[in-house]
Amino acid sequence: MEILTNGVGLSAVVFFPLVSALVITLIPKSQEFLIKGFALVSSIITFVFSVLLLLEFDFSSADKLQLGNKISWIKSINANYEIGIDGISLPLLVLSTFITVLAIIYSIEHLPEPKSPKGFLALILVLETGMNGTFVALDLILFFVFFEIVLLPMYFMIGIWGDRTVRTVAGFKNQIETRLYASIKFFVFTLFGSAFMLLGFLGLYYRGNKTFSIPELIELGSAGAFTGTFATLVFAVLFLGFAVKVPMWPLHTWLPDAHTAAPTVGSVLLAAILLKLGSYGFVRIAIPILPEQAKAWAPAIAILSAIGIIYGSLACLAQTDLKRLIAFSSVGHMGFVMLGIASLTPIGINAAMIGMVAHGVITGLLFFLSGSMAHTYHTRDMGRLGGNMKLLPKTGALLGFTAMASLGLPGLAGFWGEFMALLGAYNPLDGLNVTVFRTSMVAGAVGTVLTAGYLLWMLQRVNLGEPSEEWMDKELHDADAYELAAWIPLVILTILIGVFPKLIFGATNDAVIAMLSKAFGG
Amino acid sequence: MILDLILPRRSKYYVAAFALLGTLFSLAPLVVQWVNYTNPIYAFEDSFVVDKFSIIFKGLFILITYLTFLLSINFIESDKYYQGEYYYLLLSSLLGALIVSSSRDLLTIFIGIELASTPMFLLSGWKKGDRKSNEGAIKFFLLGVLSASLILYGFSLLYGLTGKIVFSEISTFIINGALQSSPVLLLSAILVISGLGFKISIVPFHSWAPDTYEGAPLPVTAYLSVSSKATGFVALIILLTKVFSSAGESWGVILAIIAGLTMTLGNLVALQQSNPVRLLAYSSIAQAGFILAPLAVAGITGNFQDGIFASVTYLIIYAFMNLGAFLSVQLFSNHAGSTNFYEWGGIAKKSPITGVLTTIFFFSLAGIPPLGGWFAKFVVFRSMLSTGEPIGLTLGIVGAVNAVIALVYYARISKVIWMDELKDVDSENSFQFESPLKVVGVFTVLITFISGIFPGIFSYLGEVSSIFFGN
Repeated sequence: MEILTNGVGLSAVVFFPLVSALVITLIPKSQEFLIKGFALVSSIITFVFSVLLLLEFDFSSADKLQLGNKISWIKSINANYEIGIDGISLPLLVLSTFITVLAIIYSIEHLPEPKSPKGFLALILVLETGMNGTFVALDLILFFVFFEIVLLPMYFMIGIWGDRTVRTVAGFKNQIETRLYASIKFFVFTLFGSAFMLLGFLGLYYRGNKTFSIPELIELGSAGAFTGTFATLVFAVLFLGFAVKVPMWPLHTWLPDAHTAAPTVGSVLLAAILLKLGSYGFVRIAIPILPEQAKAWAPAIAILSAIGIIYGSLACLAQTDLKRLIAFSSVGHMGFVMLGIASLTPIGINAAMIGMVAHGVITGLLFFLSGSMAHTYHTRDMGRLGGNMKLLPKTGALLGFTAMASLGLPGLAGFWGEFMALLGAYNPLDGLNVTVFRTSMVAGAVGTVLTAGYLLWMLQRVNLGEPSEEWMDKELHDADAYELAAWIPLVILTILIGVFPKLIFGATNDAVIAMLSKAFGG
Repeated sequence: MILDLILPRRSKYYVAAFALLGTLFSLAPLVVQWVNYTNPIYAFEDSFVVDKFSIIFKGLFILITYLTFLLSINFIESDKYYQGEYYYLLLSSLLGALIVSSSRDLLTIFIGIELASTPMFLLSGWKKGDRKSNEGAIKFFLLGVLSASLILYGFSLLYGLTGKIVFSEISTFIINGALQSSPVLLLSAILVISGLGFKISIVPFHSWAPDTYEGAPLPVTAYLSVSSKATGFVALIILLTKVFSSAGESWGVILAIIAGLTMTLGNLVALQQSNPVRLLAYSSIAQAGFILAPLAVAGITGNFQDGIFASVTYLIIYAFMNLGAFLSVQLFSNHAGSTNFYEWGGIAKKSPITGVLTTIFFFSLAGIPPLGGWFAKFVVFRSMLSTGEPIGLTLGIVGAVNAVIALVYYARISKVIWMDELKDVDSENSFQFESPLKVVGVFTVLITFISGIFPGIFSYLGEVSSIFFGN
């Protein structure tokens, strides 16, 4: 169909959620059913659009940008509304629309305090526009705008619907609610990164014939237009912008707070999609435009990733809070993604791509489960939980399954990302320091053991054993239909990707190889 | 051309309605001028000009004044102030601003500047019984007189150096006589910058602003922080480009340092504020730093086109989002009866619309896309980095850090009104959102969004500023 190929369909995936959010704000508050129904339907329509695009997508030329368009947007600075997808962005785009549907299904019955579905669902839809937009944008300014649009909804989601536990935070005189501290911390960290990222974009613009177009800049970059101190500085600021978002150690400190404080759906979206905006930025912008600098920085990125993997797993071992444990596990998993990217080889970056999708699916599900359990038990303290298998058999079984997937059990989605990232690091791009990468690989391998360790330990503390006295005479509700409707698709996806990784590689492989051969030749 | 100057004046003895109609009606000649525009028209021996630059700013000033009137109607009526005089004084100030944007000689621009600011001395002390208002007005007056004398001194040096008063003649004289590096010229530039520095409240000439803003009636404060500031900037842009452009390298460095200090100091002090008006005062100081920075870089690099484009775009977007911010402060402080915004906990739940408005304006001031403020900040960064000058780069980094600092206090208001618990102290007090204020709200929100999503509409400004600098 023509509207799918000429960019209209792609724009619809981006802006339909935004329009729906505006419509939702016009529906009176009392019409709760209508609000929820409308949000669900519009997220499903967006998802269907993205599936239609998937069907229209020409996989035989997945390395080329497709289904896009280019319209003049801000003439005076030569910024265009330029969109398109290739094999790298397609899986992430579909993941984003898919997870949003599940998030809305879950929210129908499980809204955190202070309820108010109108605001909450409208924010989710605005967030979706930002996420989808970032994945399809092919213009640096457009990318920047979408990259930033996600901040406001997430800020309010954490700040209004977040965790109300009062705690003491270093540097604050008075005690402060977790949600308030976490929301502003999230905002300030990300804005700090992206403010500098914008300076980097401007630098590229002035050196690159005054264009913001990513494909044009990639052409210039692979022809060697950006060199010297200038390129080093630009890569440094781009690194700052993306690494905060990923987040890479030592810029990760906002993540555990934000995840712990965010409402369940917020954590899911944050883990499943928002973190990917950073690693996607590396693959889409930083590496192809500045290949030489990427090469120079790759060992540093590998070391930071290895530290992140080890640090994340060790931090997990020290947690007593279930949700915070999962948050720290994200630091470790994204470490594998970045290790794969740092190797600059097809296998490594393919690993990163499947790792991103798998992490989105698996960690998203883990946050769903932990959120639901926190709702049931009114605590996330693993010391008090226990015997979950007996109390909530369905949730418990799913938690067991997801933890196995998360620790990288072969046959499930988590395996490919970790395994191939290590393979990539064993044999990085020619010219990269092999010792550094192999050391990082060993560290990563140790990390997988630690990951297995903390996840199994978590299962032991939460799922197994006898339930404590505390829960005996309480009526606990196991997963309801809405929860299962949100979770089962993720389970299926975890198995499918685990068994047929080609689902992802089929799209990404050609694009990754084309990107790398353009950047590094051969 | 003269019509748009005369019309607002005629309405001086009538009350609000006539003032509103008058200002709105005075837009008409501007539209006609815009449509029929071919070349700049000069009058009075080159000392008065109608070009696109002046038309844009006249339009801006008239719109701001119009919105200020709308903000004022209920405010002024509620306290039984002298209505006629109030509108008359605001209109006189508007007339001054209009003169400034067209002036091309030393005398005209001075008269314009003073006509624009003198009425504000009176208006800022309009709340007669209020000691803060009196204190603010006196501070403002004393520093205002000082600034006038500095400007005059700078002008007299310039006249002494060249013997001319028309800008084009002065600048030709400077170039022909190779006086670009004359210390007198630089001294004159510094004096003029200092004098105008009071009007636009840049560090170290900013000290009056928070007190005066706090004491003045809110609509007057809004006008001061938007229109008076814009008038000062227009005068500065005209003088720097038309008179002092050849000595750009020397004053550029000074301005760059001032701009960096202004953003940083304004933002750091704003972090400490609990009064929303004082917070906006310091925020407007910080914003002035952002508006000033492109001019500084332009002076150093000689790339005036990018610099003026950035400053002008910033000024226009800033004007509307800041007016909107004052609108929301006015609404909430009336309702809460408190000028400490920490006591506004959860107030947005009472009027979600006002809450959303407040959020939009404050995050736009913080420069978060897709709200207008992001494009303003973007063009400023763009002009800073345009040539890769070390000073521009440094300013860029300072600006980026400042953008993050500013977010903390802009976000704080949203945090308080949405996330804190609602205090049911005066819950029987119903929320007042009068229709004139609604007009202001709709208008400013629309501009904030349109300028953020379709910043292409500002493209013509680039062309305008090139014409402006070309002649």
